[in-house]
Amino acid sequence: MAMKYLDKYPKNLAKSLWVLKPCWAVMKLFAKTVTHRSMTILYPYEKEWIPDNYRGRPGLRFDKCVGCGMCVRMCPTACIKLIEVPDDEGKPVMRPQVNLGRCAMCGYCAEYCPLDAMTVTPDYELAEYTRYDLLYGPRRLNYEGTTPGMEVKLEVTLPSDIENGNPERRVSFFDLDRPELTDSKCIGCKKCAKVCPVNAIEMVEKGVNDKGKPILRPVIDNSKCICCSNCVLDCPKDALQIKEVL
Amino acid sequence: MVQEYSSILDWIVFNDPMKNPYYPFVDTYNLPFDIGYKLWEILGGAIAWLINLIFPGNPVSTWLVCDATSTLMGLLIFMLLIFIIAFVSTLIVLWMERKCLGRMMDRRGTMVGMKGFLQCVADGLKTFMKENTAPKKVDKMTYWWCVSLIVGLSVLVLCMVPLSQRWFVVDYQTGLLIIMAFFALAPFLILVSGWAQNNKYSLIGGMRAAELMISYEVPMLILIATTALLAGSFNIGDIVNAQNETVWYIIPQIIGAITFFFCATAEAERVPFDIAEAEAELVEGWQTEYAGMKWGLIMLGDYMRGSVSCSMFAILYLGGWTLPFIGNGPIPEIVFLLKSYLVFFFMILIRCALARVRTDQILNIGWKVFMPLSVINLAIVLLLKVGGVF
Repeated sequence: MAMKYLDKYPKNLAKSLWVLKPCWAVMKLFAKTVTHRSMTILYPYEKEWIPDNYRGRPGLRFDKCVGCGMCVRMCPTACIKLIEVPDDEGKPVMRPQVNLGRCAMCGYCAEYCPLDAMTVTPDYELAEYTRYDLLYGPRRLNYEGTTPGMEVKLEVTLPSDIENGNPERRVSFFDLDRPELTDSKCIGCKKCAKVCPVNAIEMVEKGVNDKGKPILRPVIDNSKCICCSNCVLDCPKDALQIKEVL
Repeated sequence: MVQEYSSILDWIVFNDPMKNPYYPFVDTYNLPFDIGYKLWEILGGAIAWLINLIFPGNPVSTWLVCDATSTLMGLLIFMLLIFIIAFVSTLIVLWMERKCLGRMMDRRGTMVGMKGFLQCVADGLKTFMKENTAPKKVDKMTYWWCVSLIVGLSVLVLCMVPLSQRWFVVDYQTGLLIIMAFFALAPFLILVSGWAQNNKYSLIGGMRAAELMISYEVPMLILIATTALLAGSFNIGDIVNAQNETVWYIIPQIIGAITFFFCATAEAERVPFDIAEAEAELVEGWQTEYAGMKWGLIMLGDYMRGSVSCSMFAILYLGGWTLPFIGNGPIPEIVFLLKSYLVFFFMILIRCALARVRTDQILNIGWKVFMPLSVINLAIVLLLKVGGVF
């Protein structure tokens, strides 16, 4: 009967020495963290290292931007809006304005910007007192010290490539997407030429119609075209399409 | 009128406190009392001199510097001094726990001023600022008395631990037993306060404290008795001197030292034996309903008992305030505190490394592991004693 109470007795007392194992691990970690620094970063005083293409708030290089609206169309949270601002000479131009209260810091705007005017910045301390203060106008989006790594390229261009002095796009000039005209649908309304932000479309006379009036057709200057697809979207008869390079 | 000018040095004479007929410590030298006595001689002598300048030949001045008043005021300053030293050493223990625990977890610990030491002060201020609320349906008397007694007993026990041959409050012949008796009172009060708070978590915490106590108290007392047997005395000074004459008792009683270390951890209710508090299971255990400064004082009391545990370990096994081949150094108090901090460091290590024991394991550990180990230790000591080694 008395032996029944001994059933639960630890069979091998030496097995309880397992407690030494975590103690030893802790001791090792302690020795390491006393001689070296610990993992914690004293945040307001020292900051974590961030890579060159860190996706913080978007930045804008005002002079490079042509106001094509690609970023507006690509933004997944719809936080970018084109607004009219005076440029350096006082002429009104369209430039993006970012609502950082809604921005998801995905960096798509920088990725899709055809002129690399939109960049990502390593700026992540963005707290403000009101929501209104979170509206970043085109001038406020400016970021001093933009490096090539911050212009996130849509084509594969790694930061290591830029470091090695190889920042070119790995796509040949003829492999780019370009708008293409379906001639039978076009009515020659000149809308595409008006909306083109880089003036790549020129309306050219191609003969005369039955009533003796000139037939106008857009001719796209491929060296100027940035493939922003504004002409495609604004065409009233769907005569223009983006010809994708496969 | 010719004013008779009496020099201030007529009033401040550094008498030997041992020559004072009212000297409270019979024939042993007591450093904190000496400091307190001399401080009063400066302070009281200056006051007496000032009063005497204004009212020459008044009785108040002579009363302020007479033997009896000096002893009384010296005793008051002595109490303050003992408490402040104990309190500051507890704060150092608290700071050490925070910093070492942080480093062991690969973080930095507290960073507020003086390498994080001032965080204790900040916490104290914060808890002082809090509203002192008490729930409506608690048992008023036990609720208030238990917390006062737990904190008071912790302070009392901490002040009773002698820091050296010359730094003590009372030199009892049975000092070890008295300290241990006061030390073991806390779990009873925890049980009662857990009952008084009218809260399920507190009640479970109190029950667990009682369960914990019945499992570690018996082996611990056997270990203390073993050490007393080896030294032949319950007087703390005698135990330390006996270790100084032979070897530190950690060498013959290595099993007992390890067992006592774990029992002392349980006595101070620290991880892995903090089942009464167990903030992961019971909200804050038996302290759930204590708000504001009550909780702050309870935490302070916990750390005080932790540092008493370490001090007891240092006294029983590490030779107290003596060093091998040196004996009493120039500042034995510092040696003693350093030894107790070393023990506390191992407590922190255990806290960081091990998980909390389950409530069903604690009785097994107490009665099936600690108890046989302490009895084996007792047998070894008996053999050594009978064999004439000690």
